[in-house]
Amino acid sequence: MRPDLKWSDGTPLTADDFVYSFRRLLDPGTAASLAYFLYMLDNAAEVNAGTLPIESLGVSAPDPATLVLRLARPYPYLLERLLYPTGYPVPKHVIERHGDAWVKLDNWVSNGAYTLEDWQPQAHVSMRANPHFYEPPAIAKVRYLPVPNEQSGYNRFRSNELDVAAGFPSGEIATISRDYASALRTSDLLSMMYLVFNVQKPPFDDVRVRQALSLAIDQEILTDKVLRSGAKPAYSFAPALLSDYDSNKLPHVDLPMDERIATARQLLAQAGFTSDNPLKVTLRHLSGLEAKRVNLAISGMWKRVGINAQLHQADLKTHFSDLRQGDFQVAWAGWVGESNAEHYLGLLQSDIGNVNYGRFKNTVYDKLMQQALNEASFEVRNSILSSAEAVVVHDYPVVPLYTSSVRRLVSPKISGWHENLRDMHQVRYLDWK
Amino acid sequence: MRKYIAKRLGYAALTFFCVVTVVFFMVRLAPGGPFDSMRRLPPEVEANLQAAYGLDKPLIVQYATYLSNLAHGDLGPSFKQKDFTVGELVSRGLPISVALGAMALALALAIGLAVGLAAGLTPGSLLDAVLMGLSNLNIAIPAIVVAPIMVLVFAVFLSWFPAGGADSAWHFVLPTIALALPYSAAIARLTRSSVAESRFEPHMATAVSKGLPRRRIVVRHLMPIAIIPVLSYLGPAVAGLLTGSVVVEQVFDLPGIGRYFVQGAMNRDYTLVMGVVIVYSGAILIFNLLVDLAYAAIDPRIRFD
Repeated sequence: MRPDLKWSDGTPLTADDFVYSFRRLLDPGTAASLAYFLYMLDNAAEVNAGTLPIESLGVSAPDPATLVLRLARPYPYLLERLLYPTGYPVPKHVIERHGDAWVKLDNWVSNGAYTLEDWQPQAHVSMRANPHFYEPPAIAKVRYLPVPNEQSGYNRFRSNELDVAAGFPSGEIATISRDYASALRTSDLLSMMYLVFNVQKPPFDDVRVRQALSLAIDQEILTDKVLRSGAKPAYSFAPALLSDYDSNKLPHVDLPMDERIATARQLLAQAGFTSDNPLKVTLRHLSGLEAKRVNLAISGMWKRVGINAQLHQADLKTHFSDLRQGDFQVAWAGWVGESNAEHYLGLLQSDIGNVNYGRFKNTVYDKLMQQALNEASFEVRNSILSSAEAVVVHDYPVVPLYTSSVRRLVSPKISGWHENLRDMHQVRYLDWK
Repeated sequence: MRKYIAKRLGYAALTFFCVVTVVFFMVRLAPGGPFDSMRRLPPEVEANLQAAYGLDKPLIVQYATYLSNLAHGDLGPSFKQKDFTVGELVSRGLPISVALGAMALALALAIGLAVGLAAGLTPGSLLDAVLMGLSNLNIAIPAIVVAPIMVLVFAVFLSWFPAGGADSAWHFVLPTIALALPYSAAIARLTRSSVAESRFEPHMATAVSKGLPRRRIVVRHLMPIAIIPVLSYLGPAVAGLLTGSVVVEQVFDLPGIGRYFVQGAMNRDYTLVMGVVIVYSGAILIFNLLVDLAYAAIDPRIRFD
């Protein structure tokens, strides 16, 4: 660790603070919902379950500038994982003094480039430069405004109340490319939007039916004609954006659409669905304009192969609660996150729990995934993951649709804003032009 | 009178209790829970969260705990905004919602009474037709349509007002107007018909024959009677202003409690939804009582015995 780290009240920040923070995160009494982000630490799950004492967690500080993390099994993505707030330190000296009130404005202490100046829920979070940070930021004061929706943020950007807007309504993209071209920033987001089949429910236990539904979907139309938001078509379940990973595309991806439709009709006929006895499907999706348009387009594509799809929308909590309970036939789902393939491929492991919404199971796949998870070398791990994906791609448990894009408005007065796959933009690297 | 108030307070308390009970169980019936998301929570984490928020106990025990805390003025922790309690969130948002509601009510009354009086004194005239036409338009177009148009025109294009926030009095101008408009129209219509009818009451003829000045007749003899229907409308109007503020606060980005209502419900933030419901229903019950008491104060024909 750097030797010159300090909290914003001047107290030195040492490796002990990290030991305290990681133990606190995994302490069952803290009830941290993201505690599992550090389950790769030795004994972490047991500590979090309360079956082992906190001191047995695989973290120690032999001296104030050295932090040692002991892992339960190889985890080559550790450094990236530590970038999440679950890897940040919390001020032991403040928490011990103030208890739960350590997050209150008067007690707030930070170890970042900024520290809290004011915080009114829903109104604003104001920050000023932390005098004890080792590198003073160029912008001394920052105000975050939590807006209730994209339209509101877009309005406030246009009336010059905001220098950066985290998003805007997707329908405005044409206006913005014309009137605010110098402010528009779009970038890919590491994510996967996909359809999942409930393989427990007939007829979706039949791979021919799943394949037919997959064949009929034209991902390019979804991104280029329907969304037009900068989203990119996806043909593999692990996003193509992942570095150092060979993703496995759907086998039919290079076939012309006519041929795909003919094959789909054939497969459906083999499974017993013809124009006299058409397949009826309920497609569940999240409420919201964008999801609605995508899913309407999909039901239109299915119509071409003789499938009658009915749409069923619900709010986020209801939608994913139903998915976890397996209460669906085919459903739209999304996964956003880290830059490693197992983050996505793990969703198809049979022992992963109810986030494998379709209850898909392939023992060969499971075995390969287990093998990958115990591999320390990044290259070997990725190549095993890739061969696992190659196995599962013929089972059609999911239909990859697209990877999302993020759209921001950044005032041309600001410099230092760089697009990146994780969409992280730290204010301390920004400056006024 | 005192007996009447005591009886009404008793009913109000009973209604309040029923609302709290129904909402407590209803929010918990909605699918999904406060800690669900797309991500998977390991069972250990789930268990820790359930224990920390008392969700592992039987529902009836949770209910009893909630009521007992409520009796002590404790609205509990927010399930989603972990750095604030529901009490803190409500107490910071409430002044903004109250200011917005009070200003909108005042504006609605000022416009509505003036327009209604002007139209009601000359029923059938051109002035009456124009004013009532505008009022009908105002009632027909809800705030969810008017408010975004106001933001676009007056904030984004003309830059006369800010597009959102509550940093100054200036920020309240557009939301107050947007919220007040439909209510001013309803009040105008009520006042108009009531004024038009009351003109022929016997005591009005007496006042005219006594040779009182027109201004005095209108203010002292006509208005107290004509205002009664408006007064009874104030109860539902306040309820409407509260729910209307849910929309207006969203559009104008005001940090009031209206936004918590929607957010809390979407997030299954049980305690936050309860907190807002308690404030809303309390406000509505108290206001209805005040309105009833005001009848007696204004109309000498009404007595509560």
